[in-house]
Amino acid sequence: MSQFQNLVAALEAAPADRPFVRFWIDEDEQETVTFGEFFSRARGQAAMLRGEGVTAGDRVVIIMPQGIPAMTAFVGAMMQDAVPAFLAYPNFKVEAGKYSSGLKGVTTNLNAKAVLIDQAFPDEMLGHISLAGDAKLIRAGAAVAGDFSAASIPTDSLAFMQHSAGTTGLQKGVALTHAAVLRQIAYLSAALKIDGAKDRIYSWLPLYHDMGLIACFMLPMVCHVPVVMQSPLDWVMQPEAMLQIISDHKCTLAWLPNFAFQFAPRRVPQKRWAQYDLSSVRALINCSEPVRASSMEEFRKAFTAIGLKPHALQSSYAMAENVFAVTQSEVERKSGPACVWADGQHFRARHKIVEIAPESPGAICFMSSGRLLPNHQVQVISDSGAILGDGHVGEILIKSDCLFDGYYNRPDLTAEALVDGWYHTGDLGFCLRDELYVVGRKKDLLIIGGENIYPQDIEEIVGNHPAIHDGRAIAMGAYNADLGTEEIIVVAEVAREESLANSIEIDREIRNQVVAGMGIAVKTILLKPPKWIVKSTAGKPARSSTREKLLKEHPELNIEA
Amino acid sequence: MTAESQQMIAHIVELIRKPNVRIDENTALVSSGLIDSMALVDLLQKLEDITNMRIPAGKVQPKDMDTVAKMFATAQRVGKPRK
Repeated sequence: MSQFQNLVAALEAAPADRPFVRFWIDEDEQETVTFGEFFSRARGQAAMLRGEGVTAGDRVVIIMPQGIPAMTAFVGAMMQDAVPAFLAYPNFKVEAGKYSSGLKGVTTNLNAKAVLIDQAFPDEMLGHISLAGDAKLIRAGAAVAGDFSAASIPTDSLAFMQHSAGTTGLQKGVALTHAAVLRQIAYLSAALKIDGAKDRIYSWLPLYHDMGLIACFMLPMVCHVPVVMQSPLDWVMQPEAMLQIISDHKCTLAWLPNFAFQFAPRRVPQKRWAQYDLSSVRALINCSEPVRASSMEEFRKAFTAIGLKPHALQSSYAMAENVFAVTQSEVERKSGPACVWADGQHFRARHKIVEIAPESPGAICFMSSGRLLPNHQVQVISDSGAILGDGHVGEILIKSDCLFDGYYNRPDLTAEALVDGWYHTGDLGFCLRDELYVVGRKKDLLIIGGENIYPQDIEEIVGNHPAIHDGRAIAMGAYNADLGTEEIIVVAEVAREESLANSIEIDREIRNQVVAGMGIAVKTILLKPPKWIVKSTAGKPARSSTREKLLKEHPELNIEA
Repeated sequence: MTAESQQMIAHIVELIRKPNVRIDENTALVSSGLIDSMALVDLLQKLEDITNMRIPAGKVQPKDMDTVAKMFATAQRVGKPRK
């Protein structure tokens, strides 16, 4: 168990001279702070927040670009025993009104005391900030000097809030205590054999996402591991930076969503691979999307020649509701995470894993997400709620001493998700030989490039288009094997059949509106005549039956059943 | 329109595979949903190839890549000669 009372005490105990965060903009522009400097800057932010009237238990929303100032503000809030939450920075694609209403929902739900924005927050985007109640807008400025004595922080006090998904999901704040976060970090760091003096983490993951916040900020803060970090946008525009940073700084650990294992080898020109060296890497952990053996294999094949150790590719199953990891593959197993080859027919028709010879006709390969962390339990249940045995596919339920108590201020959502202490993840998977395999989702959640998207949010926007029959739109994910992640397909009924003559125009308008509302691009929009979408007995669009119909009519979409 | 802009437009047309969509120097690409963020890496690499400059991603925002005209203005602003 953790030796620290709270997260701030863990930071304070770090060797002051050891580098903590190196923020990488490009090879000529980087900023580094030691643990000592970071602590001191966080104290300055804590003093500033205290000056603004923030006190113990107050929720503080932080909307700042990824970087050291956002991180010190977060810890500064914790030093006041307040409860910080990172939210995504406004994206130029999202309309001010949409962002504003989402933010208002969050600040209302959290009953936030303060919303902290950066000094450089553009004036023209101030219109995006919408506050609820008596919340105060604060520009994070120069730290206040002087004597600041940190508040006493009980271990069972709330440490921070994680939000895991889009506009609807933003109102599902996962509140976590210092004790739960410290327990999670103790288990995970032991499983990964973390050594603060030897390890170095590379990250481009957003801080408002559990993988970025827990694995690449809280864990290194508590275990005193240096981190080299860049912004997600910089990475997506130049994935080569990942190879360069790992090579230059001899990074040993990184977490990546599945698609990144394909994105890197496909988008970094092969002629430049030989400039880099990945031999320092102990573990690159595939997490946050279902793990695909083919994506891992592509990465391994591409980069073995530049020093990547075959067993460096690892996997984990994690979620904000459990602080982070539930399982972790064994980092010292030379063969890497376990794989099983199963009969595809049995898997699809009977939801059962029947092992067959690798690569035989119809075989599907599943890669394990590893073994449970200590004090974690898993159950796999059928649609009727029966507990299933090894090799049977069903919904994954988890129970642990890191699990959240509920969604903040949302007893309705909590009651659906937490039943008798078991968290119903909505993910589908199976257990086999003491390892967990995650194969997909029961819930309608889409995961696009590691980000959680609720299809209902897209459907609402599509349904608002005047040509579309209100409520007759379905958004679904289709796995794109070239990208290693899902893409969004929308099928929508026009209200009047003659509108189909204007398909090109309607397609363009819907695309614009989805981007303006959510900042994401739809891959394919299929407009259908009235009454095309299959309805449930309650008269609502039936997602799975519509998906099956689409699969039959459009085999070119290559949607998995 | 410059030959460089035409080259970039031809690349984008190939990338989005939508025969009915016309693209000129001022067509919004990212903010209209024609192109998603994951395709920005292709555009940035193409821009580097066409301009023969190195363009550090850390100095470029997606909004700087929203139209072909903005892409070339961005290359002028932050591009560095190739090493």
